[in-house]
Amino acid sequence: MSDFLRVFDMLAWFPENISTFGQALDDLFAVIYWISVAIFFLTFGLMAWFMVRYRARPGHRGYNYHGNNVVELTWTILPTILFAGIGLYSDDIWEKTKYPEQMPAPDVEILCLGKQFGWYFLYPGADGEFGANAYNNRANRALMSATNPFGIDRNDPKAQDDFVVENQFRVPVNANVMVRGSSIDVLHSFFLPHARVKQDVVPGTWMNIWFNLFKTGTYELACAELCGGGHGAMRAEYKVLSKAEYDTWLDGEIAKQAAIMSASAESSETPAGEAEASSEEASADAPSDNATDDVWGEE
Amino acid sequence: MSTTQLETHEHAAHAHHDEHGHHDHHDHHELPWYRKYLFSTDHKVISKQFMLASMIFLFLGGLAALMLRWQLAYPGQPVPIIGSLMPDAWVTEAGSGIIAPEFFVKLTTMHATIMIFFVIIPMAVGMFGNFCIPLMIGTDDMALPRLNMWSFWLVPPAGLILLAGMFTDSGFATAGWTSYPPLSADINKPALEFSGQTLWIISIFMVGFSSIMGAVNYVATVLNKRAKGMKLFDMPLTVWALFITAIIATLGTPVLASGLAMLFFDNFFHTSFFLPDSLVASGSFPGGGQPVLYQHVFWFYSHPAVYIMILPLMGIVSDVMATFSRKPVYGYKAMVFAIAGIAFLGFIVWGHHMFQSGMNPLLGTTFMLSTIVIAVPSSIKVFNWLGTLWRGSIHFSSAMLAALAFVSMFIIGGLSGIFMASAPVDIYIHDTYFIVAHIHYVLFGGSLFGIFAGIYYWYPKMFGKMLNETWGRRHLFWSFLAFNATFFPMHILGVGGHMRRIYDPNIYDFLKGFGGMNEFITISAIVMGFAQLILVANILYSLKWGKAAPRNPWHANTLEWAAPAHPGHGNFDTDITVYRGPYEFSVEGREEDYWPQWIPGASKTVHHRTVVVDEHQQASTVSA
Repeated sequence: MSDFLRVFDMLAWFPENISTFGQALDDLFAVIYWISVAIFFLTFGLMAWFMVRYRARPGHRGYNYHGNNVVELTWTILPTILFAGIGLYSDDIWEKTKYPEQMPAPDVEILCLGKQFGWYFLYPGADGEFGANAYNNRANRALMSATNPFGIDRNDPKAQDDFVVENQFRVPVNANVMVRGSSIDVLHSFFLPHARVKQDVVPGTWMNIWFNLFKTGTYELACAELCGGGHGAMRAEYKVLSKAEYDTWLDGEIAKQAAIMSASAESSETPAGEAEASSEEASADAPSDNATDDVWGEE
Repeated sequence: MSTTQLETHEHAAHAHHDEHGHHDHHDHHELPWYRKYLFSTDHKVISKQFMLASMIFLFLGGLAALMLRWQLAYPGQPVPIIGSLMPDAWVTEAGSGIIAPEFFVKLTTMHATIMIFFVIIPMAVGMFGNFCIPLMIGTDDMALPRLNMWSFWLVPPAGLILLAGMFTDSGFATAGWTSYPPLSADINKPALEFSGQTLWIISIFMVGFSSIMGAVNYVATVLNKRAKGMKLFDMPLTVWALFITAIIATLGTPVLASGLAMLFFDNFFHTSFFLPDSLVASGSFPGGGQPVLYQHVFWFYSHPAVYIMILPLMGIVSDVMATFSRKPVYGYKAMVFAIAGIAFLGFIVWGHHMFQSGMNPLLGTTFMLSTIVIAVPSSIKVFNWLGTLWRGSIHFSSAMLAALAFVSMFIIGGLSGIFMASAPVDIYIHDTYFIVAHIHYVLFGGSLFGIFAGIYYWYPKMFGKMLNETWGRRHLFWSFLAFNATFFPMHILGVGGHMRRIYDPNIYDFLKGFGGMNEFITISAIVMGFAQLILVANILYSLKWGKAAPRNPWHANTLEWAAPAHPGHGNFDTDITVYRGPYEFSVEGREEDYWPQWIPGASKTVHHRTVVVDEHQQASTVSA
């Protein structure tokens, strides 16, 4: 029964909010919702009343009345004030969530690329800095390929420890996370329902996607922009971890990346470009190898 | 110009008409059959052609909707009845009858494309525009009848080209009705090769052309061919709405055409208007383009286009409500200004479709504010409709019930629009079922119920027969009930985060609880689909066995009711002079509760009310 009643309470259907700005968005939704409910009952009530009260009956005529400018002005000005209020209230929240200059300095920075039909993430590795890649160096866009989606130049010392994970990412709890998102083929949309985050990612452009999550756990990332036949299956998971757990995972990934780099260094007789390509192939494949059924395979 | 001469000749030869117009008229061997029924320049025939074509497309679009609803409610189960008939490319494996993920996306694309470009626009603008404008302004035909004929005859080939997509290697178009590049540029297809998407672009370009031809004609007709004595502010709101819609279409559609032309070049010749330089694709592109630019161009047309799809119906609903409330439209001029205001604001709000597209968030602020302002003229219209009901004498005919359904559903659709107009709320609900619910409340609950109102209202004039009112009510009752059962729960899906156009919601943990609701929606949608058969049956049955219609069955005031019950080529059998505005119902001092525009007589206005001065005075108040 309570499940049935929930149909009449739209606000009860939101997934749990885990983002610092999520509550403001949900509250704004609730404000508009209750205003809408009030307008709904006002207009539907009037309509129902008029339909009953003024139904055609013998001996009654309609009232020849063409309208009144005072009334017209009233119902022009009152909605204007109401809607302008909603607009200004909304704009305040919009600026705080999406204006780049209002975004806090990031604690963690991740690059993200959508592809048909999955997601790549690039972490800066042990040094905490990205080497040259397609995000920070325009020339590296020429290196972008299916095996090296981020256009990483592994000859750059800073890029040697940058590591790629596929269809999963992890962030520490209570940290300002900045995801720079783009795409290698068509439009996708980076949608974290629980975090109230949505941003289309556009090939050729890098979007700033900012959030700060306060609850640990495993959540889902979905693609929200039609991207082809596999659009509906473009699902990924992400984990919000405590700082200690996040560091442990980070160390593990850094070690894996180091192993890949030293393996490719051993076979360094091959020309540089080829080595770079094969190493990138290995690193891109690494997470998916042990993740055929479960992206969290190693746990 | 032999056609024009023929028409004038016919018109003169038939100055005397019986009540049923030109039944014998066509036997007068001026025109061969294909000029009467196929390539006719008579606006009423063209209107019926739009009606027939759109109804065929309505069936196809509805079928696509039910197929994709089946997949959402029963993922991975074979489609009943038609499942076994589907070609191998449509199903997961030959003979399985289960819709394949790629085909599911094509279904969403085809459903929306057909419904928007081949059903709602041709019906709202093509069918009613053609039928109503010449009759309601008291003239014999459009200003440019042959252009009018062309505007219809571009639609069937465009539809066939769209459907021919299924014979290409890639099948129907895949990129959604919005066709955002790079997806719609088919970046993995070789150049100079046709895909379903290429054909989609050509097809929409053609219907856009048809739209422009119709629109310039409407503007020319309204401005030049009004009956003697008819001032602009004597025009019924239907004509006002169609007139302003035509202006929107002439201004907006060429922009869409330019966008589609660029997209065609990207798709077919591998140029890069919309393609950036870092695509990882098998095709090779020069790069340097910007995908978001397409969205700006597309929505610069397609946002005004949603008003193209609803403004004509707002006009129709106003006329129907006045007639069946036996009252003038409350605030007639305010209604005209509200239509004009919506039309103007409609051109500066397109960015609200793009809040999450990656355009500068500063633009989000400006587009949010302009979008929220557009709620003002919309609420003026709603309040004026309520004011029209106030102190009326309301007759619940089928047309009136459909008009009331329009108003109530438009209120809900308008309110849900405020949510997505607010950019921060849109972050979460963008591209979810909340948007799907909103568009269907305004386009189905609004436009389609408005179209129903128009059909029930003008069917007697179109075909000379009355529709069956009992079956009309049944059709509207079941449509209304099933419509709300189908689309209201979609708001809740949207709040739950359910994305649009996804093949199987069950793969997401956060959507696990919505299976039952998806099933409920699908069952309601099937009921709604079958309810439309009542309308089709009523239309076909009444065509043959319906009661003969009188000239003015609803006791309405506008000029089309001065024409014979089933007007032939040339429309009117008397000279029409207009003496007053279109909504003089229940005038004090008159025995009848309506006072048609073409009946002579003088009146004056006292405290916003019309009072008879001299019922028999000839042409006294006219000062055109």
